[in-house]
Amino acid sequence: MSVLLQYLVTGVSRGFLFALLATGFVIIYRVTKVVNFAQGAFVVLGGFIAYSLLGAGVPQGLSEVLAVLASAAIGLLFGAVTILGKMSTIASLITTIGLALLCEAVAMLVWGTTPLTYSGLSGHDLRFGGIFVQPQYLLLIGVSLVVLAALWLLLDHTYVGKAMTACASNPYAARLTGINVKAMGLLSFAIGGALGGVGGVLIMPLFPITYDSDVNLAILGFAAAIVGSLTSPTLALAGGLIFGIAEELVAGYWSQANETAVALALMILLLLWQSHRRQQVAKLV
Amino acid sequence: MRRPRSLLGANPPATVGVLVIAAATLVLPQVLSAPNLITYVTIGLATIVVAGLSLLMGFAGQVSLGQGAFYGFGAYSAAILAIHGWPPIIALVAAVVMTAAVAAAVGALLLRLEGHALAFGTLALQLIFLSVLSQTPSFSGGAIGLTNIPALTLGPIAISGYRSYAYFVWIVAAAVLLVSRNITRSRPGRGLRAMATSPSAASAAGVGVVSYKLRDFALSAAYAGLAGAIYAFFLAYISPDAFSVMLSIEFVIMVVVGGLGTVSGAFVGAAVVTIVAQVLTSLGTGPSLPAQLPNVLSEGVYALILITLLRLMPDGVVGLASRLTKRLVRAKLERRATLRPAAGTVTGPVLAPATVETDGAHAARADGDTVPSRGGRAGGAT
Repeated sequence: MSVLLQYLVTGVSRGFLFALLATGFVIIYRVTKVVNFAQGAFVVLGGFIAYSLLGAGVPQGLSEVLAVLASAAIGLLFGAVTILGKMSTIASLITTIGLALLCEAVAMLVWGTTPLTYSGLSGHDLRFGGIFVQPQYLLLIGVSLVVLAALWLLLDHTYVGKAMTACASNPYAARLTGINVKAMGLLSFAIGGALGGVGGVLIMPLFPITYDSDVNLAILGFAAAIVGSLTSPTLALAGGLIFGIAEELVAGYWSQANETAVALALMILLLLWQSHRRQQVAKLV
Repeated sequence: MRRPRSLLGANPPATVGVLVIAAATLVLPQVLSAPNLITYVTIGLATIVVAGLSLLMGFAGQVSLGQGAFYGFGAYSAAILAIHGWPPIIALVAAVVMTAAVAAAVGALLLRLEGHALAFGTLALQLIFLSVLSQTPSFSGGAIGLTNIPALTLGPIAISGYRSYAYFVWIVAAAVLLVSRNITRSRPGRGLRAMATSPSAASAAGVGVVSYKLRDFALSAAYAGLAGAIYAFFLAYISPDAFSVMLSIEFVIMVVVGGLGTVSGAFVGAAVVTIVAQVLTSLGTGPSLPAQLPNVLSEGVYALILITLLRLMPDGVVGLASRLTKRLVRAKLERRATLRPAAGTVTGPVLAPATVETDGAHAARADGDTVPSRGGRAGGAT
């Protein structure tokens, strides 16, 4: 029982990382219709920048905040490369693959190929019932919840958020009402970058990251986002938790080597089911 | 009235180009050194894969990030069957059929979703494929891979040595390119082209969009499986390292460099990217240089190629070249036409097919001009 709880705690914290990634996919896709393959690269770069700042003597906390801001700036830059000018869906997807490769090359050049980690929140492991939980797990869960809640407030209760939603539902009409659709697209990329950065700085003390972790992170974030058909932030959170827990249970009860494969098989089944459901709907209409 | 035809077909520069390349491919294996022969075979194999992926990306508007997995699946299927005593050529054919079947099974549903579903779905397939390989050492050799793959034999002829593989691979590549060219010019090809421009308009005109996309995808996987199977026999040794996600991305880069949906682009893209990768590796390798430098260079250059090409030259190197030659040819013809206005009635129809090339509507109108009656009653005249 306590073993299961232990897996659940780890699974939920990884799930929040996937949820942050998935929300990044959703925010960017809703506004720009771009599926950003470089989403995982934000996690890697955010984590690595925090690592270097900490190494340079910048105090804990400030380093992480600066790293998140840097990720947002990188996101903005990537948005500018991807959405300014006219591009087909396939071309923009391949452009973001190019950006992800660029990030890998830079990360490999600057930080090398060994896995990196740094110590996170200090303090003794907390004891709940029969299980021990590192404080960093709680920090990851807590900060993720706050960030996601803030994002929902932004989307539902501010002018900017409503403008972004308007761009998502009908870009043409949004432009007619005076909303700058391109600026909203850039903003969505900056938010996507910041979300990835938050995930990166929080996960690195728990799971070491290498320059090429981005592909696995991106595809698992995408898998979580698919639960909400790439458009619903709430379902993306649910998807993140589902995939985080599923991975951890597979790793715990079967084999660590199979965790990603099983999660990805789950994702393919989910896609197949969605396609099947769409056919059923099409038949009814 | 029969249209006079040039000896070099409808597009003389392209025909000359194909003849030159064909002659070069026949001569090259005789003059290349052993390491260069390996590169030569690699380019041929990549050309086969890229020809399929280019059709998929150019016509179905879908990206596969799992072409490396289909390549690997073909290689492993052929190797395992051949090691278990199947005649190699049968193993090769079976590998191609199995790869196409896997793609068809996955694609049947994924292709109904938006483009990114197939991209991430195939990427997931690749990661699952690599994971399964590492988990089944007794069957697939695990991380070590499979050795002692028998040589390829075609009946009494055994293909062994780099030179005979070079010929074999390029004969197969030429056949694949010819099949692709005929597909793009046949009725399904016109359907695919219509689909590339507007799926809904194509669907309204009676093109079965999903079934065409599915056939396109299965064909691209079959090409990849074929190239992979030949690769397994060529090296006689395969391991999971050879089928990384990076390989799949390299195939996509080759398509982008060559130009989406162009048949000759497959060859150009495969050759350019393979050679650039080799040059970068040799530049980045040295006793005092960091070990990761070759990878940094190649990934960085790939990234810049992808980003700048998609922004500046969306139809690739071949698209750019054909646009430039078309412009040159047209300028030349216009100059000639203005110099000899009296001969205009003759030169018009004769030269028209060369200038408008495969554009069916224009060619038909050029023919129609030779029929005496214009307009509504043209049908009655013939």
